[in-house]
Amino acid sequence: MTEHIAILVEHDGKKIKPATWELFAFTEHLAKLHPAAIHFIMIGEATRNLAQQLSTQTQCQVIAADIKGADTYHGQIYTDAFTRLLSRYPATYIVASHSTSGMDMIPALSIALNGTCITGVENTDKEDQTLYFTRAVSGGKILARLCAPLASASAPLCLTLSPGAFKPIAPDKNAAPDIIHTAVECRQTAMIYKERLASPSLGSNLTKAEVIVSGGRGIQEEENYALIEALADLFPRSAAGASRPICDYGWAEYSQQVGATGTIVSPKLYIACGISGATQHLEGIRDARFIVAINTDSNAPIMQIADVCIVEDLTEFIPLFMETFQKRKRPAD
Amino acid sequence: MKLLVCIKQVMESASQLKIHSDGKRLCTFESTRYEMNPYDESAVEEAILIKETVDNTHIDVITVGPSHAEDVLRRALGMGADDGIHIIDNSNDFCPPIRIASWISAFAKDRAYDLILTGIMSNDEMNAQTGPMIARILGWPCATAVIKEDLSSDRKSIAIQREIEGGARDVFDISLPCVLTIQTGINTPRYPSLSKVLRAKKKTFTTIEASQLETLRPEAVLDRLVLPQKTAQGIVLEGSALDKSQTLLDILESKGLL
Ligand SMILES: Cc1cc2nc3c(=O)[nH]c(=O)nc-3n(C[C@H](O)[C@H](O)[C@H](O)COP(=O)(O)OP(=O)(O)OC[C@H]3O[C@@H](n4cnc5c(N)ncnc54)[C@H](O)[C@@H]3O)c2cc1C
Ligand SMILES: Nc1ncnc2c1ncn2[C@@H]1O[C@H](COP(=O)(O)O)[C@@H](O)[C@H]1O
Repeated sequence: MTEHIAILVEHDGKKIKPATWELFAFTEHLAKLHPAAIHFIMIGEATRNLAQQLSTQTQCQVIAADIKGADTYHGQIYTDAFTRLLSRYPATYIVASHSTSGMDMIPALSIALNGTCITGVENTDKEDQTLYFTRAVSGGKILARLCAPLASASAPLCLTLSPGAFKPIAPDKNAAPDIIHTAVECRQTAMIYKERLASPSLGSNLTKAEVIVSGGRGIQEEENYALIEALADLFPRSAAGASRPICDYGWAEYSQQVGATGTIVSPKLYIACGISGATQHLEGIRDARFIVAINTDSNAPIMQIADVCIVEDLTEFIPLFMETFQKRKRPAD
Repeated sequence: MKLLVCIKQVMESASQLKIHSDGKRLCTFESTRYEMNPYDESAVEEAILIKETVDNTHIDVITVGPSHAEDVLRRALGMGADDGIHIIDNSNDFCPPIRIASWISAFAKDRAYDLILTGIMSNDEMNAQTGPMIARILGWPCATAVIKEDLSSDRKSIAIQREIEGGARDVFDISLPCVLTIQTGINTPRYPSLSKVLRAKKKTFTTIEASQLETLRPEAVLDRLVLPQKTAQGIVLEGSALDKSQTLLDILESKGLL
């Protein structure tokens, strides 16, 4: 019997989200290590067009169900519907993005399907016939390598893929669509969706800035955020940003938060000061063209992606750099 | 109202990290300090805020961990929680979230809680699994990444906002009992008060030996912990701080970034 890998599709009713194409890249890699047929499972208000597009583009089977209220993520509807669909169309590996919806539903799905669960997967490899999945722990300074040796269609491994771990691939195969449209009965009453509220970071000046200087917990004290702002002020078309904890402390506004749940930025220059480089922060700066990291810890994950790494205490280095900068600007002084 | 808050003891985030020679855990050093998982502090604070507005609210806090994990129970009581439950697991083994969720839900099952709060994730293992698993085992609804909550006046449901990508919030009405996983920023956790800390010192906790508990569900297996391979493409500036600041300036100038 052929084994299956099921991709749980993320879309907004109009478009397939890039996260789904990252999942596709990951499952192609997985299927090379462990031969299995990839199929997509999607739910939404009206899935017909997107299902067709997916199947045509990828030459994979798409199992789709139309459910009222399923164009936005709803924990109970999604877990319930996917449980039913996956019971009918079982897979050994069930993959979703480590997004705010994947994170919400995959652990519950793993229990409903009597499977195992590994979240935030960054890669997979095979050794002695066993598949291993690596994921970051301790803020990305350590990797944990896990396996689910008994994974099978009746006890699937449900996993979430860390955003950015795989480059999205959206093939263009132009195949004849292979779609199963099915109905799922999905009545729920315990959880009622009301509305979507805008992000407090909406309209952030970070999106337009060409240079962003951000401060993280390494600034240690509220007063030190002034150093971040002063450094930003040296550059034209610049803005001061922050990691999430700094906004949580109230030391900066939420409109200054950079990252997955803040603003996604794409400056020419990003200077990360006292920021460790958690995946949720890095998601916000993937499109930054040049990254400078100032951090006392040479092992901080931010050092892995920075173009220039400066291992220094920011409270000493920033004033020194500003002085050097001023001197060079006005050599006559 | 009866609330249960799940709290985990974790190493302080700035701790020295070294993989143990068995490859399955981190070494502990004389300098190793522990703290309450920061997301769980927000969960405890949120429970206390509910207690302050709803009469006859009782807050239990529960932790699974070795003997020294009882420090986080004391801290939570110092903040204002009422009672602590300690599932003692001194085995030092990797404990997958499903096991923790099974144990906590077995404890919670017949105790008539209205609400269970957890952190959105633990800072050390970063699973983000335990809360939704507890909910599923108990058959309760669940919302993760909760950034605001508001109990209905009849105490039968709770209005919550959960944070999604980009910081937008989805608003749901959820009937009780339910599980919420708490995101930071929902509140500012208070410091324990001296009088409560003194009272917590004398308190005895309900203790349960983990070895007596069943673990029947399939589990992911930890093969080993490894250090990430260095793939850095960037340059590390050398020399004195002044040298580095000169070099940085040169680089930015040459890239036309000034
Ligand atoms: C669902 C979810 C969404 C999230 N969304 C976001 C998001 O959008 N944006 C975001 O930023 N985070 C987000 N987070 C939080 C994220 O996981 C991290 O906790 C956070 O990014 C860490 O912030 P930090 O780097 O400032 O702090 P830490 O991780 O504590 O790092 C502080 C760094 O400062 C360094 N340091 C200390 N002292 C000094 C000094 N004197 N000089 C220089 N360096 C020093 C340390 O070596 C360390 O590397 C999210 C988390 C979750 C669970
Ligand atoms: N050992 C534990 N004891 C008590 N609660 C825990 C434990 N591990 C995890 N939790 C709870 O589950 C949340 C998510 O943890 P995790 O699934 O490990 O990311 C934490 O914020 C805690 O609220």
